[in-house]
Amino acid sequence: MSIPETGATAVSATSTPKARRRGFSVFGVRVLAYQIILFVGFLALWEYAIRAQWLPVYLYGQPSGIWRELVKGVQSGALVHDTWITAQETIIGFIIGSVTGSIAGLGLWLSPTTAAILRPLMVALNGLPKIALAPLIVVWFGVGMESKVAIAAIITFIVAMLTSFAGSQEVDSDYIRMMKSLGASRLQTFRMVVVPGTVPWIASAFRLNIGFAMIGAVVGEYISAEAGLGHHVYYSGTLYNLNAVWGGIFALMILALILDAMVGWVERRMKWR
Amino acid sequence: MQNSQATVLAAENVKMTFNTDTSEEVTAISNIGFELKQGEILGIVGPSGCGKTTLFNIIAGLQAPTAGTILVNGNRVQDASGHVGYMLQKDLLLPWRSVIDNVILGLQVRGIAAKESKTIAQNLINAYGLKGFEQAYPSALSGGMRQRVAFMRTLAFSPDVILLDEPFSALDSQTRLLLQADVMRIIRERNCSVVLVTHDVGEAITMCDRIVVITSRPGRVKSVHTIGIDPALRHPLKIRKQARFNELYEMIWDELGIQFAA
Repeated sequence: MSIPETGATAVSATSTPKARRRGFSVFGVRVLAYQIILFVGFLALWEYAIRAQWLPVYLYGQPSGIWRELVKGVQSGALVHDTWITAQETIIGFIIGSVTGSIAGLGLWLSPTTAAILRPLMVALNGLPKIALAPLIVVWFGVGMESKVAIAAIITFIVAMLTSFAGSQEVDSDYIRMMKSLGASRLQTFRMVVVPGTVPWIASAFRLNIGFAMIGAVVGEYISAEAGLGHHVYYSGTLYNLNAVWGGIFALMILALILDAMVGWVERRMKWR
Repeated sequence: MQNSQATVLAAENVKMTFNTDTSEEVTAISNIGFELKQGEILGIVGPSGCGKTTLFNIIAGLQAPTAGTILVNGNRVQDASGHVGYMLQKDLLLPWRSVIDNVILGLQVRGIAAKESKTIAQNLINAYGLKGFEQAYPSALSGGMRQRVAFMRTLAFSPDVILLDEPFSALDSQTRLLLQADVMRIIRERNCSVVLVTHDVGEAITMCDRIVVITSRPGRVKSVHTIGIDPALRHPLKIRKQARFNELYEMIWDELGIQFAA
């Protein structure tokens, strides 16, 4: 489940302006050459192992078969449709959860009493593997897209709320004293210091959340669905069609990279540091 | 001459005790009294732990004293209302705001229109050597420049009293002397009333008209010195040649020294 996340980090690490300027250095070309050789060599070895019957195809799939599945899926539109369903669930859930969660977390700064009352709940939620809530949400919201959106939204809500609340508590208390000495109301301090001071935390939560939203959507589709990449992967798995499973995973990876790049772009514009 | 001017700030028998409800009661300051005249710079010098920060918080209205009163222009300070401009060792610039937007902060809090605020800030920036840096962010500025911006933020909303709490102590010695001279000049030009808290006896003698020496805990007023050096000779580099400077320097150190030994 963490593959999209780490893969995305690696991509953004090499696409910083500094790395791009070094893109055509001898070192860079050598690294790229080794990467291609390793990847192509791995696929070739895999393909050969299946054809030579070292490995059973029904357990591992085979690159040429995965390619055929991908071509078929794109031509028939089925894979594109599943990708689009998962993308919508992820994006809608992400936006609902991240925005409302950030607002809720910031709002707790305004009411320390509420924050104190909710503290045990927040500690518990922080420790909880939030995906464990998925079956409940499917029961409540049904087999359609709504339940996947809800899972993604609830998970991202929790993460955004916890992160933005933690961020608001980290705002230097000397700033708050200074605002007080200027005669600022609590709401002015909130607006001028706490909210902008918490924005980098919220941006980080967004970056984490796009991964969590996708996990939520896909796991929701595993549990019960009629469409989506999670459904495609799970259903193909039960049929031992491993080529189709790999095809679905590949599509998930592409989707994760695109979504992460989009949120990364937003994140960089939100950080003032 | 100063006696003829209005009293801007008066502390009367100010006392602050912490943990009054437990056996670990601590009196931070006791019987603190002084007056600050319009346009005067008053130094407060004391050993560490003499309750200077507590006194500052009380003057700014951030904490209520256990006993005594603070009067600003004759009105009793009840809570923080922006009557006091604060400048600390930490510049406390908001890193997401440009220089000019940091300078207008106090004006914004008071609800003054953006256009008017920007004009006030721009005039300060032009007058005091930060022209061209209006749109720069604090992270791009040196420590000395950041403190300059913090000082302008304090000046911008024309507080009745300016409190300077060790404002130069984080700077390197060259920058410190330059900024001391500039801040002093600006304060005189604008006839600001200032309380300067510092550990640095030399700095206090250089910048202030009078110095209040505070004892260690509980902080009490030990003595008050009138500097009496011609303001024209008050440049940080020149003043050290004055006999009066050395006389005061030794006297105040002696007074602090007694406290250290006690």
